[in-house]
Amino acid sequence: MLQDIALGLLTSNVAAVTGNARLIVDIAMYFGLFVIVAMALNFQYGNAGIPNMGCAVQVIVGGFTVSALTTRLIFTMVEAGGVQLEPWASDFDWVYKNPVNVDLTNDYIATHSTFGWSMLLFSLAVSIILGAVIGWVIALPAIRLRATYLMIVLITMADAAQIFGRNIPAISGGTLGMFIPNIFEWYPGDRTVLTAVITLAIGLVSFFIFRTMLNSPYGRLMRAIRENEITVGSVGKNVVGIRRNILMFASGVTALSGTLLAFYFSFVVEANYQRAFWTYWPWLMLILGGPGNNAGTFLGCALIVAMRRVIIVNKWLLQELFFFPIAYFEAVLLGVLLIAVIMFRPNGLIPEKLLYIPGVNYTMMVQEEVEVDWRGTTQVKRGFSSGIQGIFNVLGGKKSKEEEE
Amino acid sequence: MLIPAIWTAALVFASELTLLSIGFTLTYLTAKVPNFAHGTYAGVGIYVSYTFAKIWGLSPYYGFPVAFIVGGIVSVIIYKLVIGVLTNMGGGAIVLTISTLAIQIFLTAFIQIYAYYLRERFSTYAMAFLLKESDFEFAGFPGIFVVSLTLTISLVLALHYMLTRTRIGVAMRATAEDPELASVLGINVDQIQLFSWFLTGGLACLAGAMIPLWFQATPQSGATIITSIMAGSLLGGFDSIYGSVIGGAIVGMSEILLTTWGQAIIGVWVGEYRPLIPMIFLVAVLLIEPNGLQGAWTRFAATQTGENFRKAVGLLKEDE
Repeated sequence: MLQDIALGLLTSNVAAVTGNARLIVDIAMYFGLFVIVAMALNFQYGNAGIPNMGCAVQVIVGGFTVSALTTRLIFTMVEAGGVQLEPWASDFDWVYKNPVNVDLTNDYIATHSTFGWSMLLFSLAVSIILGAVIGWVIALPAIRLRATYLMIVLITMADAAQIFGRNIPAISGGTLGMFIPNIFEWYPGDRTVLTAVITLAIGLVSFFIFRTMLNSPYGRLMRAIRENEITVGSVGKNVVGIRRNILMFASGVTALSGTLLAFYFSFVVEANYQRAFWTYWPWLMLILGGPGNNAGTFLGCALIVAMRRVIIVNKWLLQELFFFPIAYFEAVLLGVLLIAVIMFRPNGLIPEKLLYIPGVNYTMMVQEEVEVDWRGTTQVKRGFSSGIQGIFNVLGGKKSKEEEE
Repeated sequence: MLIPAIWTAALVFASELTLLSIGFTLTYLTAKVPNFAHGTYAGVGIYVSYTFAKIWGLSPYYGFPVAFIVGGIVSVIIYKLVIGVLTNMGGGAIVLTISTLAIQIFLTAFIQIYAYYLRERFSTYAMAFLLKESDFEFAGFPGIFVVSLTLTISLVLALHYMLTRTRIGVAMRATAEDPELASVLGINVDQIQLFSWFLTGGLACLAGAMIPLWFQATPQSGATIITSIMAGSLLGGFDSIYGSVIGGAIVGMSEILLTTWGQAIIGVWVGEYRPLIPMIFLVAVLLIEPNGLQGAWTRFAATQTGENFRKAVGLLKEDE
C-alpha cells in the first residue's frame, strides 16, 4: 500500500493510487488542511482567547483567491505565452468556456514547470495577504467588544461570503463552480499525492511557526491577554491591537488551506466551503485535542479526520444501519461529539501545559503544578509532576521544600 | 385584500421575529448564554404545523398550543441535559455558546431525519413546503395575518404583565440580575431557570408554527432564521426585553420591505442578498451603538431634551 503511494509520488504510474492507498492520501490531505485551520484556531482561541467562529470565511477567501485571481493571472500569462484561448472576459464566457480554457492552459503548463510552481507560490502569498485583510475587516466591528458579539458576527460572516460566491459568477462560477488550471500538469505522477505532500509540509511548517511564536514573549503576552486583559492593558500593552494582529495573522494562515483545497480538487465551488465543515469540525478537533495545546490539536485533527474519512468512504456499508441518509448522521455525530467532549473531557485529550521559557524551570521554581482550566477558572493543586520531582529530590539527596521550612 | 401583500408579509414576519427575539433575549438574561439553538426551536414548530396540516389533516392552528408545549419540553430537556450541567461545571460564556451551536446542529439534523421519515412513511414532500392553503380568511385578511399580530401583541402584553406584576416574573427578573442574591431571598433559582427555558422554547416554537402559513419552510429554516433573531435582539440592546420587541419588529419588517423594494428598484437579483440585511444590522449596531436601542435610549434620556421628553410623556415623575 505504501509502495503504491510512493509509486504514485515518484513515478509516472498515475493509476497506482487506488483503494486503501487512495484513502490514506485523502486522509493525509484533509489532515494537512485541518491541521492548518485548527492550529490557527488554537493560536486564536486556545492561547489568545479570541473565539473565531468564522474560520470558514478565511478558508473561502483562500479558495476564491485561486478561482478569481490566480486563474485570471494564469489565463493572461498563458495568452501572453502564445496560446490562443477562448474568450473569458464576460461572466458567461468565464463560466461556460472555462473547461476548454483550463484544458488549453494545462497543455501549456505541462511543458512549463517553473510557471506552475510560481503560480502555486503566488496563490499562497496572495491568499495569506487577503486572509489577513479579511481578518482585519471582520475584526473591525467586534474585536473591542464582548467575545459573544465577535462570535455572532463571525458566524454570520461565513454565510455572507458564501452568498457572494453563489451570486457573483466572476468569483467562482456561481452555483456551477469552475475548474482551476492544474498547476502540477508537468508532474508525471499523481497530482493529488503531490498536493497532499505539499499540504502536509505546509501544515508542519505552520505547526512549528505557531509553536515558536507561542514559546516566545509574544506567546506569553497572548496568554496574559486571555487570562486577564485588564491587567495586560494596565501595564501598557495595546490589548485591542494585539488581538487584531493575532486575528489577522491566524486568518492569513487559515486562508492557505482554502487555496490548497482548491488545488486538490482542481475545482472551486462555494458549496465546498460550508460553515459547518470549515468551522464546527475544526472547533471539535480543537476542543477534543485540548485548547491551548498544539500537540493536542494535532492529535484531535488526526482522530477526527481519520474517523470522518473512514465513515465517508465506507458509507455504503453503514447506510444499512440507518433508515435515513447517512449524511444526516454526520450532523448528529458532530453535535453529540461536541457536547460529549465539552462535558466529559473539558480539558481535551492532552491538557494545556505551561509555556516553555528558556532557562526557567517551573517545576523547580514552584514545586506545584498549576492546572490551567480553559473554561476560565484556575485551580492550583499539588499534581503528579511535583510528586515525581519530590522523588528525584529524595534520590538526589536534595531537601524538599517542607523539610527546609 | 385591503393592504398589499408585501405589508402582510412584512407584518407577519415581524411578529414572528418579535416573539423569537424576546425569547432569545430572555434566555440571554436568565442563563447568560446566546442560544444559537433558539432558531431551531422554530424549526420544531414548523414541523408541528406540518404534522397537523398534512399528516392529520387538521387546521395548523390547532397545532399552536401543541407547538408551545413541545417547544417548551425540548427547551427544558436541553437545559436539563446540557446547559444546566455545563453551568454547574463552571463553563464560561464561550463554552456554553459552543454547546448551543452543537445543539443547533443536532436538532437540525433531527428535524431533517423527521422530515425524511415523513416522506418515506406518508409519501409527502416534507423537505420544502407552504401551508397557505390550510389557512382561513378573516374579513378579507389572510387568517395568519390576524392571528400572528393579535397573538404577538397579546403575548407581549401578557409577558409585560407577568414580568412586572406577578411573583414569578419578578423572581425571573431577580434571577437575571443576580442569581446568588435571588437565592438568598428564597427564590428557587433552578425552578425559575426551568420556567424561563420552558417559556422561551414555547414562544420560539409557537412563532415557528406560524412560519409555514405564509413563508416557505425547509428543515433548515430554523437554523437560518437565527441571524435575524440575533440582529433583532442586538438592535434592541441584547439585554433588554422591551428593546428586543422593537428590534425584532424593525429587523423583520426591513428584511421583507427592503428586499421587495430593492427588487422593484434595482433588480430581481437583490432578492438573493436578503440574508445580508440582518448582517448589515448586526455590523451597523456594533459599529455605531453596541448597546443597541437600549443604549441609545439611555444616552438620550440622560440629556436635557430627553429629560423634558420623559417628563412630557409621563415616564419621569416631577418630584424625582
